[in-house]
Amino acid sequence: MVGEPHEDLLERFVQGDQDALELLFRRFAAEVRGWILRIVRDSGAAEDVLVESFWRAYRGRARFDASRSFGAWMRRIATNASLDHLRAARRLARWSGVDHDASAPASPDPDLRESVAVAFRRLPPKLQIVAALALIEERPHAEIAEALALPIGTVKSRVSRASARLRKELASLGIRP
Amino acid sequence: MTDDQSLRLLLRSALPPMTDLGPARDLWPSIVHRRPVPSGWPWLDLAVVAAVALGLALFPDWLWLLAYHL
Repeated sequence: MVGEPHEDLLERFVQGDQDALELLFRRFAAEVRGWILRIVRDSGAAEDVLVESFWRAYRGRARFDASRSFGAWMRRIATNASLDHLRAARRLARWSGVDHDASAPASPDPDLRESVAVAFRRLPPKLQIVAALALIEERPHAEIAEALALPIGTVKSRVSRASARLRKELASLGIRP
Repeated sequence: MTDDQSLRLLLRSALPPMTDLGPARDLWPSIVHRRPVPSGWPWLDLAVVAAVALGLALFPDWLWLLAYHL
């Protein structure tokens, strides 16, 4: 993890100094982008969400407490922006009909990888995010809880619900893990 | 192997953990380009206000019609 910036830099950022924003962006962009990529799983989308996240941070700079961790605050903003991206992508997929209908019969010869990806995309965004971070990326529950601003118990419960839902979706596609 | 472990393995084999190779380009210009435009009166709103003002200047009786519809 990137070391915390000097408090002066953070104070300048809170006051709206765009040079301070640029310095913070250059220092944290790679780490934040990596976190977003783990959630949205698409390089182009990760770049868009990264830009959105830093803008949200800049707009909400007055709420940042310069004595707290900028990295953790930024990660929380990036997680929320990623969640919004997943929700928008899900709405778009439903509207355009790109995603497979849950009631559609499974293909007689399904490609396993694609079917698992379809089942994963069918998860509600708030379960998809914990499934991506906990089951695929194997991030510690405490880290996920901090990024989502949730108690660890809630994260564990969501991981469990995501697993159950994934099993159900996979079963509907004729796959039993 | 438990059900949870097998699900995790299946998931990770189909959707492997992401490897971040870093952004392909400098994204700072994208941040700069998103600088918010100062909000002002949109042109359409100004045009409607101007048209109403002109109409009332030319036909003052329309004021009653306008007041009735407001």
